[in-house]
Amino acid sequence: MAQATATSITESKAWGGGRSPFNVSYGKMMMWFFLMSDAFTFGALLISYGTTRFFSAVWPDANQVFKSFPFMGEANLPLLFVSLMTFILIMSSVTMVLAVHAGHYGDRKNVIKWMLWTIIGGIGFLSCQAWEWTHLHSEGGWWGSFTDPTTPVSAFEHFFNHHKDTVMAALPAHGMQATHDFFNYFFTITGFHGGHVFSGVVFNILVLVNTTNGVYQRRGHYEMVEKIGLYWHFVDLVWVFVFTCFYLL
Amino acid sequence: MSGHSQHTVQSLYEGDQSKLYSGILQHHTDVQSPESKSQIKRIWKVFWILLVITVAEVIMGMFFSHQMPKALVAFFFLALTILKAGYIIAVFMHLGDEVSNFIVTMAIPITLFIWFIIAFLADGSFWLFMNTTSPTR
Repeated sequence: MAQATATSITESKAWGGGRSPFNVSYGKMMMWFFLMSDAFTFGALLISYGTTRFFSAVWPDANQVFKSFPFMGEANLPLLFVSLMTFILIMSSVTMVLAVHAGHYGDRKNVIKWMLWTIIGGIGFLSCQAWEWTHLHSEGGWWGSFTDPTTPVSAFEHFFNHHKDTVMAALPAHGMQATHDFFNYFFTITGFHGGHVFSGVVFNILVLVNTTNGVYQRRGHYEMVEKIGLYWHFVDLVWVFVFTCFYLL
Repeated sequence: MSGHSQHTVQSLYEGDQSKLYSGILQHHTDVQSPESKSQIKRIWKVFWILLVITVAEVIMGMFFSHQMPKALVAFFFLALTILKAGYIIAVFMHLGDEVSNFIVTMAIPITLFIWFIIAFLADGSFWLFMNTTSPTR
């Protein structure tokens, strides 16, 4: 017994070949490397957003742009809807990690249950995003919107903080350009993130079908759930940063 | 025939799982075991932490961030964001359970990003400074 313990300690300290030195499989490590490259892509998008924001004299106020909630009409409810979206995505991340946990134990029934909840959460998030895009589009925001020099200040002033005199004074000269930049970045970055959520939902459905058909049970392990789980958590992780950059700061 | 070749490809890409994983990431059998239950408990604990942080951020953004100095607001939100990201990566993505070599391999390229962010934001504010002080404008 003592000898066995000593051997396993030496084994874990020095790599002697015959096993993965990083304690991960090829597929899982490649998923990590892919996610890192994806993090660079999202990072570059968010940095260019930040740079543009830093060199703009004014910038739309999140509490003014995002103050609507479905079926609530003109009620002033800043950040409430995006909080709901964030909650849905965190929740689906929890159900995903519970599916991964069930996979570690080869518990097929629970993998199916938690994958189903994850898919429902993903679809819920995408539906919320569809509503938000539709709403902002109805207010005039889109890719390439707010470029006509004759646009009156009244067309975009409601996106800005009315209580600051310096902001209101700068609006005629800089407001339209800032609104244009804001919506370009908003739709590009949340669109790129939404595309990730959508493909994540598709992958989750594929994994659910495979689990239901017993593919992973025959294979002897549920590592595919873990790899797709990494992707899904990454999508949640990106949202944490998008949430801060667009809605809070 | 096809079953055999599928097995070969699979072992090539996935390897022998028993040789790959140890610790929490090892493959177990008893989902009712105490270690399984403590792991599930940890997942829900992180969920509550993430939820509380998000609620704090939203309350701050709704009511207080407009009356506070800009730098303080940015520090507050960015610190909480990085805290949330850390929990998601360490617990939900299990990076905290990996071997330290692997953690470092992932962490180094990401930390280089910090300089990237500082450089571009500084460039942006310099642009604004140049634009507003230039006599031609």
